[in-house]
Amino acid sequence: MKIDTRLLIGAATLLCALPAAADDQVYDNSFRLGSLALFYHTSAADLEGPYVPAGVNFKAKDLETLYVGLVRRVSSAFDVELALGYPPLSKVEGRGPATVGSVPYNGEIVSSARWLSPTLFVEYKFLPESSKLRPYIGVGVNYTAFYDRDSTAQGNAGLGGPTRLSLTSSLGPAGTVGLGYNVSGHWHVYTSYSISRVDTNITADTDGIERSTRIKFGPQTWVVSGGYSF
Amino acid sequence: MKNYWRVLGAVGAALVLAACGDSSQTAPAGSSTAPGTLAIDPPFRIASLDAATFAAELAASTTGAELLAVAGTPTCGVDFYYLKFWTVGALATETTESSGALMVPTGGSGCSGPRPIVLYAHGTNANQALNIADITNPSNTEGALIAAMFAAQGYIVVAPNYAGYDISTLGYHPFLNAAQQSGEMMDILKAGRTALPQTLAAATSDNGQLFVTGYSEGGHVAMATLRALQAAGATVTAAAPMSGPYALEAFGDALFFGSVDLGSTEFAPLLTTSYQHAYGNIYTATTDIYSPTYATGIATLLPSKTPIDTLFTEGLLPETALFDSTTPVVPGQAALTAALAVPDNPANPDTPLFQLGFGNPYLIVNDYRVSYAADAAADPDGAVPTATAGVPLAATAPTQTLRNALYVNDLRNGHWAPTAPTLLCGGDQDPTVFFSVNTETMAAFWPAQVAAGLITVLDVNAAPSGPFAKIQTGFIASQAALLAYYQSADGGGLSLAAAQAEVTENYHTNVAPFCSLAARSFFGNFAGVQQ
Repeated sequence: MKIDTRLLIGAATLLCALPAAADDQVYDNSFRLGSLALFYHTSAADLEGPYVPAGVNFKAKDLETLYVGLVRRVSSAFDVELALGYPPLSKVEGRGPATVGSVPYNGEIVSSARWLSPTLFVEYKFLPESSKLRPYIGVGVNYTAFYDRDSTAQGNAGLGGPTRLSLTSSLGPAGTVGLGYNVSGHWHVYTSYSISRVDTNITADTDGIERSTRIKFGPQTWVVSGGYSF
Repeated sequence: MKNYWRVLGAVGAALVLAACGDSSQTAPAGSSTAPGTLAIDPPFRIASLDAATFAAELAASTTGAELLAVAGTPTCGVDFYYLKFWTVGALATETTESSGALMVPTGGSGCSGPRPIVLYAHGTNANQALNIADITNPSNTEGALIAAMFAAQGYIVVAPNYAGYDISTLGYHPFLNAAQQSGEMMDILKAGRTALPQTLAAATSDNGQLFVTGYSEGGHVAMATLRALQAAGATVTAAAPMSGPYALEAFGDALFFGSVDLGSTEFAPLLTTSYQHAYGNIYTATTDIYSPTYATGIATLLPSKTPIDTLFTEGLLPETALFDSTTPVVPGQAALTAALAVPDNPANPDTPLFQLGFGNPYLIVNDYRVSYAADAAADPDGAVPTATAGVPLAATAPTQTLRNALYVNDLRNGHWAPTAPTLLCGGDQDPTVFFSVNTETMAAFWPAQVAAGLITVLDVNAAPSGPFAKIQTGFIASQAALLAYYQSADGGGLSLAAAQAEVTENYHTNVAPFCSLAARSFFGNFAGVQQ
């Protein structure tokens, strides 16, 4: 699998290189940990290729995973956030005909994959830094790579045999809105709602027979996290 | 900051792991190209149908429903695997990938566990893209036939598409080349047996029983395969070649003497191309054989991805006119000249059929026809034009190169006889592969085996009698129903003569399901599976 590690290294370098505010009462860095609910909003063209009945499609199942955020304060109004999640095992459900031949398809878990999907946001915070409650908005860029891609036994049965899946990596825009609350000193709690755009070409190679389609995700994430600033 | 970098380090580690986390499920192509080796292992399953779904899909079309009525309701599900394997063309240096079907019965008792194998050879098909494993293709009627007739009744079916078809890059089809085609049958059998335990239907296994059958071209292939398997010391439980051109020299002689069969303009280019590749001496230029109207490009015309009807309409091939309607005069040889005249015997009911083989434009030039016929007249076949006891081949090898190629591939060649129970099935009015010239010639060639009951000859068109009486009754009734259909409004409201012509045109195809049913019934005597 090819992952452009330069993106992450570049993002981390950017975070550390940004000038910190001079105010001694504020902290330059934050580490956030929390829960991330992921709603995929999949849209895919029907699978195309040899021996595929009409209407064979997919849907990724929504899930929850661990959220990790690294935030660098740029100024009193601006932060840069690198949002990460523990790469979740996303399960993909078959959508379309009830059966492919006589093999159950619709609603069956046909494949799974893990996503590594860091997003780099530039965020604008409202209200003064002394406020306990600070809403914020942000825009950024999402990079998504897929690994541990497996066709399940049911997927293999539907597609005709052991199947190797490949999904291209994706680079797309992202946006977020959130709210931070200063509990006390170093500690904060946050909630945010983010959306990004992920496009990937999926190719299923079953014993030398290739079928493919393009899947568009509009993954929306709802995060509740606690943060420690230092 | 220290913790910050630790987190990034963890992310980096995750990336490294991710880079190693590619899917482990692969379909490696084997590196060996030895004949009989699977090119893709395990094979791809095109479709998996349970018995009820298969029955419903057949019932959904007219031809499927007719097949269902003959073959019976499926008792087993069928998994359709697409075999890709290595074989060789006519020459040992012509290594090529070929493909075919592995149809595996599935389901409960009688459908899984150890099962017998039916090794099947299909009939001539002009479609280069033919894939007999692709049950999802409505035009794959022969695939549906063998699936319904054998696989859905508990037989594992192995059937090649043949070299030159589908994915094969051979560039031509070794049509009626007994050595190549029997070799390819043995190659796919080996590949199928290798693949079987690795399929998604691994609960079905080979019980060691082998039945060999095939229709039309595949009848010749099946008989050649029986001969080759016997020569190799392999066990064949029983065989059933059906409607095949077994006695090729006799068949060729009949044809060049004017008994032109339906389909001959399709068979001729396939045959000359095949033998030119195998022996290199059939022609120097295609114009040696073919009229200028058709000679250009004919060596690579068939099989084709263009429908054969389009080839006819585009003028690339005549539909029926094999020979020039202005027949040749051979100086000083009145008998030969007479033998080459357009058939006009009003007492012979086949005369109108044979006359279709003459016209202008025509496919084969008179000079070539004369060269073949002169050789046949000088060194006659034992069956044509006059049958002799034991119907041997020509006394000496023919000198005319095409006739010699037919002689080499004639299945009377090789000093052999079946040692496994064998059913020779056909229809005696077959206008495409003449029953008398082929099936009856072989029966006459093996009188001891026929008398001993080792070889059974079945004419599905004969008056019903014996163990296959129901099948004969069914075939005769189907012909009558077809005749009535063509005369009905739904069938076009044809006159009796026109309707009869349609029935004749479809006769060869219509025999296939009934002979296949007879083959299944015959095999059932030895396999103990449902008939």
